[in-house]
Amino acid sequence: MDKKMNHSLLTFYRSLLHGLFLNKKRHRLIIFKSVIVTIIFIFPTLCNGSDQKPDTLKQLIEMYDPTGCRECHEEIYAQWQNSHHSRSITGIFMERYLKKGPLSVKSPKEATKKNFPCFKCHLPQLEKATDTVAAEIAAVFLNNDRTTMKQLNISCMVCHQDKGIVHGLPEKNVMYGPKAEKEYPEEEHMRVKKSPIMKRSVMCGQCHGLGPNLEFEHPIQCATLYGSYLHAYIPAGGSNTCQECHMKKADHTCPPNFNDRKEVSERLRQALPLEVDTLSYRFQPFEKIFVSTIVVKTKVTSKAGHRIPDG
Amino acid sequence: MPHSTDSLDKTMVYGPDKKLGIIRDTSIQPFAPKEELFEIKVPEPIKKVNVEVNFSYQLRPGDTYPIHRIVKKISIEAPQPE
Repeated sequence: MDKKMNHSLLTFYRSLLHGLFLNKKRHRLIIFKSVIVTIIFIFPTLCNGSDQKPDTLKQLIEMYDPTGCRECHEEIYAQWQNSHHSRSITGIFMERYLKKGPLSVKSPKEATKKNFPCFKCHLPQLEKATDTVAAEIAAVFLNNDRTTMKQLNISCMVCHQDKGIVHGLPEKNVMYGPKAEKEYPEEEHMRVKKSPIMKRSVMCGQCHGLGPNLEFEHPIQCATLYGSYLHAYIPAGGSNTCQECHMKKADHTCPPNFNDRKEVSERLRQALPLEVDTLSYRFQPFEKIFVSTIVVKTKVTSKAGHRIPDG
Repeated sequence: MPHSTDSLDKTMVYGPDKKLGIIRDTSIQPFAPKEELFEIKVPEPIKKVNVEVNFSYQLRPGDTYPIHRIVKKISIEAPQPE
């Protein structure tokens, strides 16, 4: 329950107690009303979980903390830690945009969610939080608090809950996976339902870019990868999904990992084969004038599902 | 790479807070081979040349990922005119 609702309830119960002592004639009616009100407020909370938006950065971090998943999903967790999803807000120069330009603020306290359109993809869970949290995040960037930055990322619940459904809204207290799982005891694990999009490119396309994001007051444009996939790769006859190339055997590293330079070079080598043909001859521009000439022809072909490079 | 502008004029810009469209795209596209031709004049009397082709991905200036390195040994031979 949010703070306003809590305050309303407290006010109501104070007036209830006041009525019990001073107005005995209305005693039974007041008790009846209080029972009804309590049921109305508490019952939905028990069934559907709290609708309260995280009001502090600490609450937001705890809501999306992936360490609880590690106990049973150790290998996937280790893969994820090596992925760019685990460091989605470091290295994006957010502090520069907060200092200068249309997204800048004079102090962190001024920041609201509107100052972070980039987080539509780099930290989508901020949408669930209040502007107070946005102000705290501004302070994190402007103070270069890298410890806290590392706790803000695309963690398990972002994909396996928030982004698990595109037709309609995700259900509360439900996780989504490539298949439905057996029922777990409630205290151990949320119910897992099958997501119809988990293995489809649209799953990745929710964040990996169609082009300009025109819904913001200050539009932004970052990756256009999914747009390239839809409008260049598919029309040219491509048929692989993002996952088939970037999550083979459910590898949650989701390569490329640009911190692994050898892996990136090898991946690009496979994706962009190069042919080199040469011709050498003596060119004669005028009689008795000879110029030795070499002609080098290069041909690069792309096997990737999108333009390279993108961004 | 995509050459993006802020859609207010024809100047290329950097930064997601400024980009709002693509005016030109020199990226390597899926299933669309890119060919280039290089002509190199070789001064006399050089007869043998090593041609080295390096293909790399530059993330940022100074931050380069090597992709291909192909070396070809070429002999420039042609009958001399009488």
